[in-house]
Amino acid sequence: MTTYFKNIYTALYTLFVGMKITFKHLFVPSVTIQYPEVKLPMADRIRNRLYVNMDDCIGCDQCARACPVSCISIETVKSMPTEDLGKTSQGKKKALWVTKFDIDIAKCCFCQLCVFPCPTECIYMTDAYEFSEFERSGLNYSFVTLNADEIAEKKSNFAKMEAEKAAAKAAPKPPKAEEPASKPAGDA
Amino acid sequence: MIYDFLLQLTGNAAISSLINSIIPLTFIIPFALFAVYLERKVSAHMQDRLGPMRVGWHGWLQSFADILKLLQKEDIVTADADKKLFNFAPVLVFAGSYAAFAAIPFSSAYIGTNLDLGLLYIVAVTSLVVAGILMAGWGSNNKYSLLGAVRSAAQIVSYEIPTTLVIVTVIVMTGTLNLHKLSTDQTSSFYNWLIFGGYAAGWHKFALIPSMFVGFLVIFISTLAEVNRTPFDIPEAESELVAGYHTEYSGMKFAMFFLAEYANMFAVSAIVATIFFGGFQSPFGYLGNTLGISWLRPIEEFFWFASKGIFFVFVQMWLRWTLPRLRVDQLMAMCWKYLIPIAVVNLIIVALIMVL
Amino acid sequence: MTYYTVSFYLFAAIILLSAYFVVTTKNVIYAAFNLLLTFFGVAGFYALLGADFIAIVQLIVYVGGILILLLFGVMLTNKITDTEIKTGAFQVLPASIIVGMFSGVLIASMTNNRWIVSANTPVAADTLRTIGNILMNQYILIFEVLGVLLLIALIGAASIARK
Repeated sequence: MTTYFKNIYTALYTLFVGMKITFKHLFVPSVTIQYPEVKLPMADRIRNRLYVNMDDCIGCDQCARACPVSCISIETVKSMPTEDLGKTSQGKKKALWVTKFDIDIAKCCFCQLCVFPCPTECIYMTDAYEFSEFERSGLNYSFVTLNADEIAEKKSNFAKMEAEKAAAKAAPKPPKAEEPASKPAGDA
Repeated sequence: MIYDFLLQLTGNAAISSLINSIIPLTFIIPFALFAVYLERKVSAHMQDRLGPMRVGWHGWLQSFADILKLLQKEDIVTADADKKLFNFAPVLVFAGSYAAFAAIPFSSAYIGTNLDLGLLYIVAVTSLVVAGILMAGWGSNNKYSLLGAVRSAAQIVSYEIPTTLVIVTVIVMTGTLNLHKLSTDQTSSFYNWLIFGGYAAGWHKFALIPSMFVGFLVIFISTLAEVNRTPFDIPEAESELVAGYHTEYSGMKFAMFFLAEYANMFAVSAIVATIFFGGFQSPFGYLGNTLGISWLRPIEEFFWFASKGIFFVFVQMWLRWTLPRLRVDQLMAMCWKYLIPIAVVNLIIVALIMVL
Repeated sequence: MTYYTVSFYLFAAIILLSAYFVVTTKNVIYAAFNLLLTFFGVAGFYALLGADFIAIVQLIVYVGGILILLLFGVMLTNKITDTEIKTGAFQVLPASIIVGMFSGVLIASMTNNRWIVSANTPVAADTLRTIGNILMNQYILIFEVLGVLLLIALIGAASIARK
């Protein structure tokens, strides 16, 4: 009999304790973040979308080679001796025209391995994480600063130079005929 | 009375009865929309969330968006379902819960029918809901639905007993089952509400107060169980039975079950409010009386009635987010071992006090 | 035709049709739910006759209690709907004789009885109070004996269930 009344007492008592707690929580400020309007600040070393600062890029191709999933593809063209490509922010002299610098972020595994080898620290991960696209091709980012005409021009310049060199090599002939002509083109 | 007014206006008893019977619907549907929103907001804030925030200011149009979505949904009837019963069950469930509104006085100017046996009538027509739930469970031809329906019916049938016992206690005290008379008797101030001993004179009034609190607790718990709300929601237990008897329903049929559930919630809250908390009576007095505007008073009464009802609906939601679900054996033990003996003892005490 | 007659014939139609289906249908569940309609129609009749208390008790006891128990029994019995229910005609001749005699008695009593037709007798304003007074004063002994009988039935059921 005592347990019976004790049960009733416990039931009512605990009920009111519980109701007090839930009523308090009715007025506790909510922890929900209204996402598109309010965003949490990201950590400094967050690894999200890649960005390339083309002003500093010297086209060394080291990031592309480091990438385990081959999501970076780079093409470069040698500059003419007369052209001045300027310097990077760290004072390194640029010598190559970068005619293609594509990052397929759909393939990217966010390992950050491309960031470490970069000699000029021009490729890095930003905190941008909202880059969904309707087409998969939209995730292929191109960072090249030159436009299509300029690229064609640089390429034709280089081809001309090569042709001139080859012609210059071919014309005198006597000194060394057995030198292979294809060697300078091997760095593309 | 609105009925007399309608009779004067149209001059036809059938038309005015029809309009008179549709009036509660114009309250229930907006109430259900509001209650769905309230439920989501209350549950969210009790869990330190925000709830719906996108549709309209603080998501107040969310229920309308939900209704639009439900209207567009395909009406799925499973291949092996018993189609006649499956299609008829939501109608029966809603008819049962809507019929209860016929005897509920919304204000001194509106009551569906001024039945002498209003309270008993409400207990009786609620049994149609049980039949509808069993019909839904069987018609779905789904073991979860059937289990939910059987559990629901067992629960409602058991918990009708403490409800009826408390109602008998009220008869012993007031000598009437007419909800309109019950409300008009508890007049003038909250001191005359039945929970504070009603309008009994002398020491009877103070002797009745503890019994009235006990009766209020018993009827609140048992009606909570009758409408299948948490902590008594084992018929719908999401973690065990998917959704209980309305597992297989979609679209507007599902919406009808939902509407019936919220109508039921308000009906039982209104009954508790009418029995113990003065029904449509204001706790202080009426602005219409002080200003001398006679038509203001029924509107004020409706306001007090609706706020009392919505307050108890809020308490039901509050309990939902406080307590975990009971087991079936705990549920039955609660009813047969605790509520019924307490209600019987309470009835005897009240009867003794009234005789002395 | 007054609304009263319209509702009378409506309830009569409900009772007759549903009772017919209860007898003829081969699906036990359909029979049970048609029985619900029959009870409901009978309750409507009581209400039309001004016996509101009886109407409500009809709903509480038959719809809320007995019918629900019946449905429970049907639903918890394994595969009751799959069993063959024999509704063929057996013993047509003796059955029709007995039914004919019984209906003859019924019709005779219906036509010969002097029914008290009193449409304008005022219905008791407070049926509940009247019934309570009658039960507690005039028929107190019968009422108590019935209570004891029900208690015995309850105890008996409990003791059988415990074995």
